[in-house]
Amino acid sequence: MQSINKRRLAWLSMIVAFGLIAAACGDDDDDAGADTGGDTGSEDEGGGEVSGDIQISGSSTVEPITAIVAEEFDGQNDTNTFVDGPGTGDGFELFCAGETDVSDASRPIEDDEVATCEENGIEYTELLVAYDGMAVMTNANNDQAPECLSFADLYAMIGPEAEGISTWADAQAVASELGSTTELPDVELALTGPGQESGTYDSFIEIALEGIAEERGQEPTTRTDYDANADDNIIISNIESADSSLGWVGFAFAEEAGDAVTEMPISEEPGGECVAPSDETISDQTYPLSRPLFIYINNANAEESPALAAFVDFYLADLNTFVEEAGYVTLPDETVADTVSTWEAR
Amino acid sequence: MALTTIGSSSEAAVEASVAAALSGRRADVRGRAFELGLLASLLVCLILLGVLIASVLADGLPVYGDRGWEFLDGGLSRRPDEAGISQGLIGSMWIAVAVVVIAFPMGIGAAVYLEEYAPRNRITAFIELNIRNLAGVPSVVYGLLGLAIFVEAMSGFAGAEGVARRTLLAGGVTLAVLVLPIVIITTAEAIRAVPQSLREGAFGAGATRWEVIRTVVLPYAAPGIFTGALLSIARAVGEAAPLIVVGAITGFSSLGVGLNPGNVLDPSALPERFTAMPAVITAWAKLPNDEFNRINTAGAIIGMLVFVVLINAIAIVLRNHFEKKRTV
Amino acid sequence: MTTATLTPSDPAGAPFDLSGDPRRHRRERLMRTLFLAAAAASLLVTTLILVSLFSNGWRFFTEVVWSQVYDSNAWNPRQSSFSITTVLAGSVIVTGIAMLVAAPLGLAAAVYLSEYARPRVRSVLKPILEVLAAIPSVVLGFFALQWIAPNVVGTLFGEEAGRGGSMMAAGIGVGFLTIPLVASVSEDAMRAVPDSLRQASAGLGARRMSTTVRVVLPAAISGIVAALILAFSRAIGETMVVFIAGGASDTARFTTDPLDGTLTITAAMASLAVGTDRVVGGGLTVESLYFLGIVLFFFTLTLNLIGDRFVRRIRQVY
Repeated sequence: MQSINKRRLAWLSMIVAFGLIAAACGDDDDDAGADTGGDTGSEDEGGGEVSGDIQISGSSTVEPITAIVAEEFDGQNDTNTFVDGPGTGDGFELFCAGETDVSDASRPIEDDEVATCEENGIEYTELLVAYDGMAVMTNANNDQAPECLSFADLYAMIGPEAEGISTWADAQAVASELGSTTELPDVELALTGPGQESGTYDSFIEIALEGIAEERGQEPTTRTDYDANADDNIIISNIESADSSLGWVGFAFAEEAGDAVTEMPISEEPGGECVAPSDETISDQTYPLSRPLFIYINNANAEESPALAAFVDFYLADLNTFVEEAGYVTLPDETVADTVSTWEAR
Repeated sequence: MALTTIGSSSEAAVEASVAAALSGRRADVRGRAFELGLLASLLVCLILLGVLIASVLADGLPVYGDRGWEFLDGGLSRRPDEAGISQGLIGSMWIAVAVVVIAFPMGIGAAVYLEEYAPRNRITAFIELNIRNLAGVPSVVYGLLGLAIFVEAMSGFAGAEGVARRTLLAGGVTLAVLVLPIVIITTAEAIRAVPQSLREGAFGAGATRWEVIRTVVLPYAAPGIFTGALLSIARAVGEAAPLIVVGAITGFSSLGVGLNPGNVLDPSALPERFTAMPAVITAWAKLPNDEFNRINTAGAIIGMLVFVVLINAIAIVLRNHFEKKRTV
Repeated sequence: MTTATLTPSDPAGAPFDLSGDPRRHRRERLMRTLFLAAAAASLLVTTLILVSLFSNGWRFFTEVVWSQVYDSNAWNPRQSSFSITTVLAGSVIVTGIAMLVAAPLGLAAAVYLSEYARPRVRSVLKPILEVLAAIPSVVLGFFALQWIAPNVVGTLFGEEAGRGGSMMAAGIGVGFLTIPLVASVSEDAMRAVPDSLRQASAGLGARRMSTTVRVVLPAAISGIVAALILAFSRAIGETMVVFIAGGASDTARFTTDPLDGTLTITAAMASLAVGTDRVVGGGLTVESLYFLGIVLFFFTLTLNLIGDRFVRRIRQVY
């Protein structure tokens, strides 16, 4: 009986081995023959095709744009472009350690990150590629919601001094101190929004809360007792499920959210001009909560690798098409030209 | 749970029980209730599972209906109607291979040593305690371990630098290490259940310890070992957190797309950056448009479940085979 | 089962040389060494983990202002609030709920499959239960948030509680995830109880329930306890379900209300490790991750020590 089992085993191994050999010799038309590591590529004289690996990391907000570019680029060239979105801060950590070629960012690089890059001898070019807005939203059933919210109101409901308040009206005191005339209703404040791992969180603080916080001698931060979540879809569904909810997400998400949520117009100053978020108002920067999106390019790697240089050229050549496809707000033509000349002057 | 043996129940209770059994008249109400209670518990689990699967199928089957093979064959993409899961499936496949190749021999070997060879002293007790502890360490910590050690090791290995060191090989080894304690514990438990009488019979016939293990212990314990194997592969293929820490791609990569045999079995995927099903599912579930976060995600979940069920089916077949051979 | 064969090595006609073939002994020693190496490798893994944890976590111990740990009542690492009791409470509550779900359901399923189910029924139901084991924790996390929270938590505790994540929803999800582990390992332990014991019990007139409860379960106790310990370890170490359905993302306030959202040790680690945007000024943020890892490691170590004592006292060998 043992010999029969051995024979079966032998047959099985032969078949498996045969299969593996056949597979290894089989077609690998989808395997682009990647080089491992290294950024050096080669230029093909044929149709301007380049080859090589490109490593990109950073903001999950900018990632959709870069991924679309990468997909197109890889389709036309013999390259492998890897795009990942762990977060703007993580992206800069890798970038300033020289590990990535491009860093996506939903905020400008910060001073300590600049210092790290300098320490490690990383020189980079900062390129503005698109705008994004942060939509402040409430449940569509919230008919007591005010027409417009100013930064003062947002600070009063979301900022550090809002710790512990549970209705919109509770924030009236601080809001009035800041000059707001908005009447905040006496309904439950079910607050939800991104957590601290998100660039959207950082940007919101920087644009809406920081100035006021500093004036009042407070930490530039949000209250800690709200429903923070890394997943924008969950933020949206939180807003949908509470009648008088309040929350903020990136504009692209808000647009996809549908009719159960309402985007609220925002004014920068109390009683100032109230602007609702839209492609136009974000593009011409009249919407107060709009923020710029960047990509940072490692200059040295761009020198060495024709693939990387070609990638950035490709990115900028059709920039607005890519941005639109990703659902973000395009730059005006003059601004695009500025970005292109920044790149070419590197 | 009190440790009782047959002889310790009160005489009256035993007599009553025997009388009831012999007369066959009185329905065993308690027994039936007990049995139904057990069945109900089992059914609750299955019903919840059914709900889970039904909602996933409802959302995900249309993807296969509309796009069929293309969904399996495609790669990561920003366009929901072009996105596919081939890279995820291939990555998960190699992870399963890593588990089988690394965790099984090491795990089963360690369990055999601990149960059959090791003297019952404090060192052995310490090792066993250590292993049980490892089983409770969260997967994130294994991710950190993978990043700190296996990804670093890739520098020398494939000449890769920077982010390119976050390779499929590093990911696979990390997950194999993660499930190693589970393999050891379940195998040890299966070996412990082998009746001593069987071992002694073999020793009496003159076998060395290894021969006893090979001919008696392992075949008897095989069903339990396969159960552990099943659980560990399922666990390894399903873990998302360590993958993300080690650097599985959640954004975009054009490498290794396609479910043709040439690509699937191509080991040159190992020293490259990678993705795997849990990372794909996590990434898609967080995207804004409904097509991705509901439909494609559900489609990916179906793909992943089918994949795991296939692996499990093989293990189940093997387990049943060995269970039949067990005559005691 | 094949029997070992004897190899007479003395050609001069003596019946059997019991000292045996040197090749067999070499093979024996080789295998023993291999197995020892495998066991030693597991120690290596622990060492590696401890090394990576402590080398990074040490900075936390030396640099933290301990009032940030003891006096604060929230876990907010980026703002230097390191209340370990918050996340510990979260872990204990979620795991407790999970065990309350997994232990009875898992054991009941195991008992039914092992003692009552007919072979054909068992061969259908057991694989289905194992499909549950194959479900990735991410999927279960979304299921917990989208279905368990509104339909189970919401129905049992009121609509308000069912909105969004909570410890209860996450706990039920983790429990659900752990059921197959309890069921499989317990069931194997019960199946391994020799039939002779059951037959003896039946011969004395016991019905199936008595046999099961008084004979099989005690005989399988070490396997069952192993299953429960494994399940507990799994539940405590579960990350993604809590991360998604536990009702909090990066920060949590101290609470013991299971209907609240909070972080467990593992979810807190995940939120630190999985994608971070550094808030300038959070000095010990990264180190807190390793700090949590160390805490969890020793927490489970203590639990295992206790469980270990328990198992040793009850183990019975046949």
